[in-house]
Amino acid sequence: MITRVTEKIKFDLVNGNLSRVQSQYTELMEKLSTQKEVNRPSDDPLGTGRILDYRSSRKYIEQCNENIDTARSWLTVTESNLTSVYDILVQVKELALAQGSDTASAQTRQIAATSLENLIDQVRSLANARFGDRYLFGGTRTDTEPFAENAAPARVDDPVAGTANGFDGAAAAGGTYTGSANGTFVVRILSGGAFGAATCELSPDGGKTWGSESTVPGTGVIPLGDGVEMTLTAGTAELAAGDVFTVRAYAEGHYNGNGDALALEVGKDVILEYGVSGEELFTGQGASGGTDVFAMLEDLLAALEGDDAAGIRDQLGSIDDAIGSVNRYTAKCGTRSNSLDVLEKGNDDLDLRMTALASEIEDVDVTEVITDFKMKEIALQASYEMANRMGSLSILNYLD
Amino acid sequence: MSDLNQIMNTAKQAILSHVTAINVTSGNIANVNTPGYSRLRPVFGSRGVIGEGAVDVQLGVEISAIERIYDRYLETQIIQQQQQLGESQVRSDMMGQVEEIFNESSVEGINDLLSEFWNAWSDLSANPDGFEERDALVSASQSLSQVFRERSQELVDLRWDANDALASDIRDLNGYMGRMVELNDKIVEVEISGGTASDLRDKRFELLKTMSGLIGLDYYEASDGSLNVFLANGRSLVEGSHFWALDVVENPANGNFYDVVFQDAPEIAINDQIGAGEIGGLFGMRDDLIGGYLEDLDTLARNLVTAVNDRHQSGFDTYGNGGGVFFASGTGARDMAVDARIAGDSGLIAAAATVNGDGGNAQEIGAIRDALIMKGNTLTAASFYQSLVVRVGVDVRDASRTLEHQTVIQGQYETRMESLAGVSLDEEMMNLIRFQMGYNAAGKLCGVVNEMMDALINIGNS
Repeated sequence: MITRVTEKIKFDLVNGNLSRVQSQYTELMEKLSTQKEVNRPSDDPLGTGRILDYRSSRKYIEQCNENIDTARSWLTVTESNLTSVYDILVQVKELALAQGSDTASAQTRQIAATSLENLIDQVRSLANARFGDRYLFGGTRTDTEPFAENAAPARVDDPVAGTANGFDGAAAAGGTYTGSANGTFVVRILSGGAFGAATCELSPDGGKTWGSESTVPGTGVIPLGDGVEMTLTAGTAELAAGDVFTVRAYAEGHYNGNGDALALEVGKDVILEYGVSGEELFTGQGASGGTDVFAMLEDLLAALEGDDAAGIRDQLGSIDDAIGSVNRYTAKCGTRSNSLDVLEKGNDDLDLRMTALASEIEDVDVTEVITDFKMKEIALQASYEMANRMGSLSILNYLD
Repeated sequence: MSDLNQIMNTAKQAILSHVTAINVTSGNIANVNTPGYSRLRPVFGSRGVIGEGAVDVQLGVEISAIERIYDRYLETQIIQQQQQLGESQVRSDMMGQVEEIFNESSVEGINDLLSEFWNAWSDLSANPDGFEERDALVSASQSLSQVFRERSQELVDLRWDANDALASDIRDLNGYMGRMVELNDKIVEVEISGGTASDLRDKRFELLKTMSGLIGLDYYEASDGSLNVFLANGRSLVEGSHFWALDVVENPANGNFYDVVFQDAPEIAINDQIGAGEIGGLFGMRDDLIGGYLEDLDTLARNLVTAVNDRHQSGFDTYGNGGGVFFASGTGARDMAVDARIAGDSGLIAAAATVNGDGGNAQEIGAIRDALIMKGNTLTAASFYQSLVVRVGVDVRDASRTLEHQTVIQGQYETRMESLAGVSLDEEMMNLIRFQMGYNAAGKLCGVVNEMMDALINIGNS
């Protein structure tokens, strides 16, 4: 209790009150105009952390949904292509059944051969279909037409040197590829130098897994495995660390792609393989391969043209296998699309919940703020009133 | 035996004393709004009596002293509190500016751009050959790097602001110490002859209060009335008519920020002896708080760059090369930037995990979003940044609460001081009436004595 009250004490008191009420009043005004309870980290430090966390999570969900859309479009196109392939294969089967019977003649088989050629072209064009710039059925080789018109024997492409390679000598590939499926060999130089001194590592699967470090032989001939070797001829610049050589080897057949699947992150720790490689669908290559569809179709064509009823009938089993396989993968696409729908639904729910949680922290309770605002207005008016009274109440008014 | 002359003399002294009292009152009234003014009070004292046998003779009245009303104990508390207040004020002020740097409530900052950076990688993994996606990633990465650089620069700028303020505070302090010495001299000069230099003392107290807002100090008054001021550790700042000026020197070991030194010992930094006050607060902001945030931001940028670069180097670009660095190597947030080669040709982004066209590596880099790369592998980049923002928020809140608290305490001290030493117009007006009545009565006394004199003189004429 202050017993001796001076003018300054009174004025300071009113002043202090005025500025306090004014600052609370302004704070409420800000809340009302931004409609936000939390306008800066100090308004609610922990809440701010959570709001930021929700914002990050929501952006992540947004991205997952975007990826889901991409994967779903890809799957839809794949599915519709496979359905067309299925229809064609059913036609081929009908054709083979009709022409494999003894009632068919050389003439009808010749006519059927012409229409089969047409059907083969259609299957090839479906198998070479693109989504955007990328081939649907090339595995991860999305930039090369997966199916050639004619089958080719096993072969090895010349090495492709990385554009940033330090080495400027020639690189050639040799040997006969004995692998059962198309492969990509990668040689990466680990420590630079001359042949016999430089070391390299070797990957048989395009760079997914790497062998142990070894010295580049003095001859410049690096055995890559599966009968393939790469021969380097020294140029003016020696091998440099980080130089990369890619050697592509192809098993016998029409296929130029590989057996890897395209994958995308569609949820937390959910990596979805959305691509179906041509290898598993249309070739007999590798571990995943089943029926070599194009070889089968070409054999059937040859049998038709050769008027070979037994030969035609021989293909019926393969045709059934191919139809079954296409059917299976069509169903797989459908299942994956469905699981994407479920994921997306879950993501949307999560997004909604996060929005609600963030809003609970961040957004103002308008009724409450307006009530507070009114109360502060009254307090402010009272303070002004008090200031006004203070000037008029003085001993001087009572002295002559 | 009292005579008329003696009474006349008493009346004269009463008139003079009351004029003096009214003079003091007028000084109080005039200074009703002067900050730091301590009210004065005239002390009336009887001059006593001369005893002459059974009858005492009154000798009258005098103003024996003009008292300056103050409380030494309250003064000490106000000075102590002012040091805390100075520190809190500068901290609250600067934390408010720091907060704006980290405020993402209505703008996109590091948090959002980081998400967009990861999203851009994810987009690229969905279409690894797409140059649109590659260019979008480069631009998202550039935005992220830029916001890191900007935030870092803003924090660095604040540190330099604090540094400049420090230098200017030291200059001010030197000026105040000079004036303190002058006042000491004057007060000693006035008081050696027995007076009270109350207005000078008021001024000196105000000066001391200003000084203690700047720096942590102790003080005591010497017997001759001069004030001696020390740093908290006992080192003298002002002693009687001498003061030791401070100076600032650049410290290359601390990024060329200033150290505070005594001018006569420029090689010994006394930063840690400042204690409180605005200068102490500036040191705390510049070196500990802002320095700490900056260090966290740098660590975040560094770990992010390392994690992305490490992963990027294990992938392959579109030209069959192994991946290089994605971010240019740097020291932290201040120089974070996308590698110039990548910025020049987005085909060099190593999106693929193999030499084929998969997006495996982009996906792996995108997954660093959830990787625990911070704080000894316990936090993701985003949660580390979020906890940094939370810390800033808590620090701002602490700073403003402390300031509020200190202000209230200082307000209470000052109100008590004002209650004691301040001028109350009610009181002064009452005093004025009282002194006026005394003056009037003494005047009347003169008239009566005058009449008595006349009567005495006319005795012979009648």
